[in-house]
Amino acid sequence: MLREAIARQRWWILAALLGLAVLACVPFVLMPFHVRVGQLILLSTALGLAWTLLGGFAGYWSFGHTAFIGLGAFAAGLFETQMLGTPFMRAQPLVGLGLGLVVGMGACAVVAGAVAWPILRLRGIYFAVAMLGVAQVLSELTNSIDAFKGSMGLVFPRIPAFGLRQEAVFYYLLLIATAVILAIAFAVKNARIGHGLAAMREDEDTARMLGVPTERYKITMFVLSATLTGALGVIYAHSLGYITTGSVYRTDFSLNMIVYNLLGGMGTLIGPMIGSVIMVVLTQVILGGFLNLHMFLTGAMLVALVLAAPRGIVGTWLAFRRRRRDAAA
Amino acid sequence: MLALQTILDGLVLGGLYALAAVGFSLIFGVLGVVNLSHGAIVLIGAYFTWFAWHVTGMDPLLCIPPVMLVLFGLGYIYQRGLIQLAVDRSSLLASMLVTFGVALMLRNALVLAFSPDFKSISPGWAFSFLRLGPLTIDLVRISALAASLALLGALAYVLNRTSIGRVIRATAQQELAARLCGVNARHVYAVTFGVSAAFAGASGAILGIVLPFSPPDEANWTLNAFVVVVLGGVGSPSGALLGGLLLGLISTATSQLIGPAFPNVMMFLILVLMLMVRPAGLLGNAFAGTR
Amino acid sequence: MKPAILELKSVTKRFRGLVATDDVSLRVEPGTITSLIGPNGAGKSTIFNLVTGYLPPSAGEILFHGEQIDGQSTVAIARRGIARAFQIAKPFPEITVHDNVRIGALFGRDGPRDVAAVTEAALETAGLDDFADRPAGDLTVGYLRRLELARAIAARPVLLLADEPCAGLNPAETDEICDILRRVRDRGTTVFLVEHDMEAVMRISDRIIVLDAGAKIAEGTPDEISADPKVIAAYLGTPEEP
Repeated sequence: MLREAIARQRWWILAALLGLAVLACVPFVLMPFHVRVGQLILLSTALGLAWTLLGGFAGYWSFGHTAFIGLGAFAAGLFETQMLGTPFMRAQPLVGLGLGLVVGMGACAVVAGAVAWPILRLRGIYFAVAMLGVAQVLSELTNSIDAFKGSMGLVFPRIPAFGLRQEAVFYYLLLIATAVILAIAFAVKNARIGHGLAAMREDEDTARMLGVPTERYKITMFVLSATLTGALGVIYAHSLGYITTGSVYRTDFSLNMIVYNLLGGMGTLIGPMIGSVIMVVLTQVILGGFLNLHMFLTGAMLVALVLAAPRGIVGTWLAFRRRRRDAAA
Repeated sequence: MLALQTILDGLVLGGLYALAAVGFSLIFGVLGVVNLSHGAIVLIGAYFTWFAWHVTGMDPLLCIPPVMLVLFGLGYIYQRGLIQLAVDRSSLLASMLVTFGVALMLRNALVLAFSPDFKSISPGWAFSFLRLGPLTIDLVRISALAASLALLGALAYVLNRTSIGRVIRATAQQELAARLCGVNARHVYAVTFGVSAAFAGASGAILGIVLPFSPPDEANWTLNAFVVVVLGGVGSPSGALLGGLLLGLISTATSQLIGPAFPNVMMFLILVLMLMVRPAGLLGNAFAGTR
Repeated sequence: MKPAILELKSVTKRFRGLVATDDVSLRVEPGTITSLIGPNGAGKSTIFNLVTGYLPPSAGEILFHGEQIDGQSTVAIARRGIARAFQIAKPFPEITVHDNVRIGALFGRDGPRDVAAVTEAALETAGLDDFADRPAGDLTVGYLRRLELARAIAARPVLLLADEPCAGLNPAETDEICDILRRVRDRGTTVFLVEHDMEAVMRISDRIIVLDAGAKIAEGTPDEISADPKVIAAYLGTPEEP
């Protein structure tokens, strides 16, 4: 089934590979500031895609996905600084980062697996708010239990690699992460599970009557989405160099993951990509001077978006095209 | 004795939770909207009161009526201008996103206006206290509890005994039927929202004299309200009171017995447990069978 | 006696005080169209909900191919080969008719299958070939009913539960639904039908079971049922009663 999908969408895949090649050249051409903007766009795209594995595909909108950014970041940070130690990290920064990724993703998988069964019995707003609660609880535990060092903060060593500048290193790491998550999302969407999820998103009870194992599917997607989000949290934490609770458990992360998808088009792959580019360019480049208004502008954007284009750019475009085709027929 | 003191503290906090949640519960029950900006509205009430007290030295309890009046107006406009529009144009889930966006905007605006630091309100009588045998009760707490209960009672009276209350309850149960009887449903929804915002504001004023507060707290107050509703049931002051008192007792007991970092963790566990075991709350939905 | 494909043994379902089905025993023989009829509130939908695992019975046993299925999950029962077409069509409105049916083919009964061929066959059986590329949300009521059947057929059931497929349809549409159900039976799928349209039931059923107020009151061929005084009384009321 996947092979058919690859054949059918070969032009899109070609375009994606071409885009990847172009993006890989960016750090050699652009100024460091612009590379950093590129980093942010990649991080946002990847986060949007990771969120949509559950939110867009299964229809379970998490309002607290920053829980896994924070959890991944702190699990990896504690492991790297406490277990491996600074000397090891200095000597083998890439190995350290790799192990940190494994630990961060593992922590997210375990926690997501543990809360998945009870929390996924909730639907709609109840699930959304329960996830808000998960994020709140994790961030509070990180902040108030001394062993987690949430209030003191954790310092990550720099990652010198192949003579690249720091922002280029993280740019490439995020580029790889984005490509991997995109490939996973493509595979899921076009596999049997993807069709089952589409049915479930529209009507869960009916899907179950048709034999779609909804329980297993949504738990799988929840854990997958959380684990990938956790990986991004680990990379993000390293790119910051120093984290506290507040810098990785951020409500606006949770919000933005929804906004990218909403703006681009819920349940599609291109949606979160378009959405994150527009949002980052808008908030960082055009409105970059208003740092202290950042949260305000994000909120305002969300409000405007829901009112102006509730189906997102892709949805609006498809509706437009269908109307035109119907008019022609 | 420690146990008795804990219970007393829990009740005071619980009264405050109940009052802060009752508006959230009302909107959820009547409009079906989950207002994620509710906590921010509570804090607006708190900052408004802090400002009045700080600048003019006005007694915080006297600030309650003007705060309620102002927030009623703002709530009315907020619902009619924004939330109703979102519900009409897409869905209830989308309207929830709008309130999420507004919450962020308000939090940011509060930080800009009042700085991100903690504030607290301490009126002249803040340090007087009563002795009831071995128990000490400071005047602040007892007046906070009294004010919370009085306001909840007033809301229950309005909902159950007045004509606007009847109209609100009728619209919640059968919007179409109410409209056929000549009720302007949109106006009723906006009034309900206004009432909810007014009570949130009042709870903010009381919150200010009991606890310190800062803009990022808004998320906690929204979450508290949600838990109260899940515990007590949707839409009624009595449900909010039951849920609020339970929550107050649980969080006081948790921070006494387990540690000050854990009330929210415990609260969250209870939230998920309740949603799974008894999703309609202990008292059920006041507008049962509507949705 | 030949083993029944579906057998209910003394099944009772209570909702708090209300008894929806009271000690009902019935058999559905393989290769038949068996209809379940009765006045409103007789417990027909409850029986469907019990068979599909949507509700657990309060007492009694439900056997499918002689194996107990009560207590199993909806998904597990669907995978054993029981599919249900709803009375109120529940299509997935945002996706096309073809993809709706394909979901039935992708899931449904366990075992190997050619998804594309099953989808095409189900679309053809239900007479939906011409609408395959439309979004399901665009269909009229009559065609939604067919989609509902096509999706259930694509799940390759051994037993198809059809919940009032003719309700609210005009005579021509009803005829087409009857044809579809006959075609399904002739290809070896047993059909268990709940239907209010008596004319259609009498025309296509091999066996009829009559429920009233939660209990089984009669069972037999269409001719036997239409002559049964108890059935006439249940539908029209006995002359003694005011």
